[in-house]
Amino acid sequence: MAECALKIRDISKSFFGIQALREVNLDVREGQTLGLIGENGAGKSTLMNILGGVIALDGGAIRLFGDKYYPACPADATRAGIAFIHQELNLFGNLSIADNLFIDRFPQFRRSPLIDKRSTYNQADVLLSSVDLRLPPQTPVELLTPGEKQLVEIAKAMRRESRIIIFDEPTTSLTAAERSRLFAIIKKLQDQGQTIIYISHTLEDVLRVSDTIAVLRDGCLVSAGPRDEYSVNKMISDMVGRKIEQMYPTRDTCLEAKPLLEVQSLTQPGIVRDITFQLHKKEVLGIFGLMGSGRSELVRIIFGLDPFSAGKIRLNTVNIPKPSPALNIRHALAFVTENRREEGLLMEASVMENLNLLTLGKCSKLGPMGLIDRMKTTKCTQQMSKQLNIKSGPIQKHQAKNLSGGNQQKVVLGKWLLTDPVVLILDEPTRGIDVGAKVEIYRIINQLAEKGTGILYISSELDELMGMCDRILVMSNGRLKAEFQRDDYDQEAILQAAFSASN
Amino acid sequence: MKMYRILLRWPEKVVLSDHFVLVLTALYFLLIWAIYPHMAGHRNLANLLSNVWPLLALVIGQMFVLIVGGIDLSQTSIMAVTSVLGAMVMAMRFDPAKFQHNPLWGVIFSEQGGWLAGHSSAVPAAIFVMLAIGMGIGFLNGLAVAKLRMPPFMVTLVAMSFFSGLAIYLTRSENIMHLPASFIAIGKGAVGPIPSALLIVVSLAAVAFVILNRSVLGRWFYAVGQNIRTASVSGIPTDRVVILAYVFSGFCAGIGSILYSARLEAGRPTLGRNLLLDVIGAAVIGGISLFGGKGKVLWAVYGVLFFVVLDNSLNKMPIEFYSIDIIKGCVILMAALLDALRTRIAANQVIAVGAA
Amino acid sequence: MENAKRFILFILLGVVLLTYAGCSRKDKPSDQITICFAFQDLETEYWVAAHKAITETLRARNIRVLERNAHQDANRQLEQIRDAIAQDVDGIIMIPQDGESAVTIIGEANQAGIPIGVFNRPPADRSKPALVVVADNERIAEEAVAYMAEAAQKLNRKMTPLILVGDLGDQNSIERKNGFYKAINAHPDLFKEPIEVPTKWDAVTTLANLEAALQVEPRVDFLFTSSDFLYPQVKAVLEPLGKWKPIGDPAHVILGGLDGDSAAYTLMKEGYVDATGVQDLFFEADAIMEALLDAIEKGQSTPEKWIQDPGFALTQENMAEREMDMWGYRILKAEAGS
Repeated sequence: MAECALKIRDISKSFFGIQALREVNLDVREGQTLGLIGENGAGKSTLMNILGGVIALDGGAIRLFGDKYYPACPADATRAGIAFIHQELNLFGNLSIADNLFIDRFPQFRRSPLIDKRSTYNQADVLLSSVDLRLPPQTPVELLTPGEKQLVEIAKAMRRESRIIIFDEPTTSLTAAERSRLFAIIKKLQDQGQTIIYISHTLEDVLRVSDTIAVLRDGCLVSAGPRDEYSVNKMISDMVGRKIEQMYPTRDTCLEAKPLLEVQSLTQPGIVRDITFQLHKKEVLGIFGLMGSGRSELVRIIFGLDPFSAGKIRLNTVNIPKPSPALNIRHALAFVTENRREEGLLMEASVMENLNLLTLGKCSKLGPMGLIDRMKTTKCTQQMSKQLNIKSGPIQKHQAKNLSGGNQQKVVLGKWLLTDPVVLILDEPTRGIDVGAKVEIYRIINQLAEKGTGILYISSELDELMGMCDRILVMSNGRLKAEFQRDDYDQEAILQAAFSASN
Repeated sequence: MKMYRILLRWPEKVVLSDHFVLVLTALYFLLIWAIYPHMAGHRNLANLLSNVWPLLALVIGQMFVLIVGGIDLSQTSIMAVTSVLGAMVMAMRFDPAKFQHNPLWGVIFSEQGGWLAGHSSAVPAAIFVMLAIGMGIGFLNGLAVAKLRMPPFMVTLVAMSFFSGLAIYLTRSENIMHLPASFIAIGKGAVGPIPSALLIVVSLAAVAFVILNRSVLGRWFYAVGQNIRTASVSGIPTDRVVILAYVFSGFCAGIGSILYSARLEAGRPTLGRNLLLDVIGAAVIGGISLFGGKGKVLWAVYGVLFFVVLDNSLNKMPIEFYSIDIIKGCVILMAALLDALRTRIAANQVIAVGAA
Repeated sequence: MENAKRFILFILLGVVLLTYAGCSRKDKPSDQITICFAFQDLETEYWVAAHKAITETLRARNIRVLERNAHQDANRQLEQIRDAIAQDVDGIIMIPQDGESAVTIIGEANQAGIPIGVFNRPPADRSKPALVVVADNERIAEEAVAYMAEAAQKLNRKMTPLILVGDLGDQNSIERKNGFYKAINAHPDLFKEPIEVPTKWDAVTTLANLEAALQVEPRVDFLFTSSDFLYPQVKAVLEPLGKWKPIGDPAHVILGGLDGDSAAYTLMKEGYVDATGVQDLFFEADAIMEALLDAIEKGQSTPEKWIQDPGFALTQENMAEREMDMWGYRILKAEAGS
């Protein structure tokens, strides 16, 4: 009878009067893999932070392999044998792989403070081969890809002989090959009897690796059971509380011939070459490509954040020789960047301050030196917040950093929508967002297109593009490789175009 | 980790409130009053307040620069150089024994006085020159930081050495006396029962308040300080905003120069030499973040108030021949630590609302 | 937020009440006289001795002394004196940072009707009444340098003179320089054009500038320092050049200074220094204290007096008889005795 590795009993936690966890009960058996799923804000991260000693629980108890477990800090969790493989990796970029692996316990020459480098590298080699990472241990970590860094983290967990390994959204930054490698490692760990908790939004992956699955919603455990009782649909409906019939809402595609955005032979050496396309009114145009194909770089050039050496950009038939954000905003071009934390939001500012950042001038008569019309901005932002169904406390006070990912993205979207854009560029608008919020955003995009906005949609999720777009352009190595109309959508063909090498 | 749990049990709202520093100041004032009874005497309070206004002018200027994520170390040397140049415009008399060998003797000023000595426009012109030069130096600072992307610490440090050296060079280390009485009245005089320094600085504070709280420009300052990348993607002219912050800081240094020069009744090339610690210290104590994005006029006021009360109390104690700077340094350090602690309390309360 | 607001209101109310209470209290302890002694760091032996002389004498007379160090910041001194005025002191003795700030501060004391004495560093002008004690620096310097020139005449060669000039913001420095030149110009054929080395009254600056000067002109054989406290720097530069030799040695540089501290005395005794001008520190300290206490007793609120300390030059010739008039010598003896 496998012992219970982790017994979580009646855990509760609240912040500022909001109940984040409500008497959650969970068991993880030794040697088993638990898949933990739930929307953002459901409480997964809170639960993991409690396990990891980052925050304290309000009520309830945890037993780790039978012993009472009350971590006061992350070090306690590490000492107790819990290892976290986080989304944001915790490695020291300037140090080598071996240094990172042994950072807290270097092999030393007997009774001296000197590090035994040879032993360090040998042991590192052993660990690296067990995770199938064929790199010299002296390699500085900053040169590694996210996938390789993740393997180093796993090796570190193994070095520490962790009793439980927790994977938190491990596949978001991985290539397809790296994903396979990860699952191979996980299989190996499972064969060795490692207890694992696997958290992810990619439901197919969760089904693939888990022995048991638990679903959190609004701080409560709504269902738990062996993997065989679950399907993707059941997982979604448990997470969201209702059935999602259709992921991608339908839209009347009646795009008009008028081109809102025209790009001609746009070139920037090393980044993009000879890009030509048009975006029409009421059209949703998707751009697909692998990471590094130049899609984000292309739209950054169009928006004026990066320079270009040749080509033409025309907005509403007006030629724009030197685009800049301010100029483009004046021409009613909007741009939701792919990194909301770095370039989309002011994390310390309130929801309202973020929403009205672009439209301050509209509410004052004298431009920048003018006074802000508070009533007007409050009304506009409150309207937009309701329209987008942004879940937060009072928008004047609630800071952006305290919102879930989905709501944060809605704030960024709302900010741009308040400018009444004619063309809207979206770069990975649903990245890191839970299913419920995704559907809401799809609906908003459709509404915008129906009203006349032209939308340029960049995404790595082909399903999403096929569900939302009228046309899909495929980029690879900085060039436009192919174009697909809605009726001709073929997943394999599109992928092939994306993978094709430069000619 | 345990310490802040204890602090959490405290009147949490008081610790986190905007007025925390004011409360601290009041408590400290009461403590000192118990030991030195004349602390609350109206003459001492008048002295105390008269020390508040010029420092507050400087801190308000510094606040703008801190908000956009920079720092202005050159404020004190802007004071020195504007003090000297302003005096050269309006002083009524120059002692040949001291100034004969000055490079500007005969050119800008002579034994009969400064450039516009005696004219009715001398004082307004001098004030204009002082403020314009302050803004000009601020403009140069801002340009270097925004366009050349040089670190603010270095730019303003260089400006500080250069302009304080320039001030000493221009006067050969001499102070310029015999300033017109009307100018001196600006720093020392009163309009009815209200000191003119109070009027000037309170107006300055009011303007700063309106800009930061109600104007578009104010929001742009905060946005640039909080996340300059987001600001530039949002079409905010970040370069211009940064430059404007430094120009304003230079302007406030000019106002500070007017007040300090008036109170010392001379153009002094060493004006404000030891004030930098006070300015930055008062800003930090008030809660204005050295990392940018945070700052309020109210905090500046509270910070200066605390600092001046502290200074006033240290002036009375018999201990501090050498210890004043040590004590001030310790207080600033504690203020910074306290601020970090308060930020942690606030942050830890909301860790988990939807991380990923 | 309600709690915080109530708390603050309570505090503010308390402050208001206490202020009112504070206004009507007189907190001076009985009839003891209180004098504020405001000075600027104590960087040389002269200032240390002056500080000691003044504070000890006053306290011995059961006078309460409020000491305030302005750390060479004129604005700080202004604030300190305003503070003293608010405390209703009976008198003020001040060592100002420079002549200009002295005038401003005297003005404040005058307005408050508190008698003020200025020690050793005179105000820039006499527009506002105050008690001032100042040494006749020019005369003392001239006397010292005159003796040095006499010694130079015996060498039968043209001398290469050098003067270490003090901070030109200090009136005393200017006068000492004038005295030097007066003595030099009395013997036009004896001296080449003197080299002026600025020191800003700072030891490090002196060292650097003097070294540079001697590199340019190594034949310097006649050196006057505007203050005795710079003798260590002079020795540090001359010794490696083989020029630090006592009187009688052919490489001896004729050396003189001004102040009269214990180092100067020792160097004169050992024969390295030919003459040093002496400010009569004890005379100056006594003079200012007497004048101030007299004014306080008579109830004068803006007394005016200009007391000059004639000083004298201590030379190798008159050392035996006049050494006991040198405050540096007296300090040495006191230390040896204790």
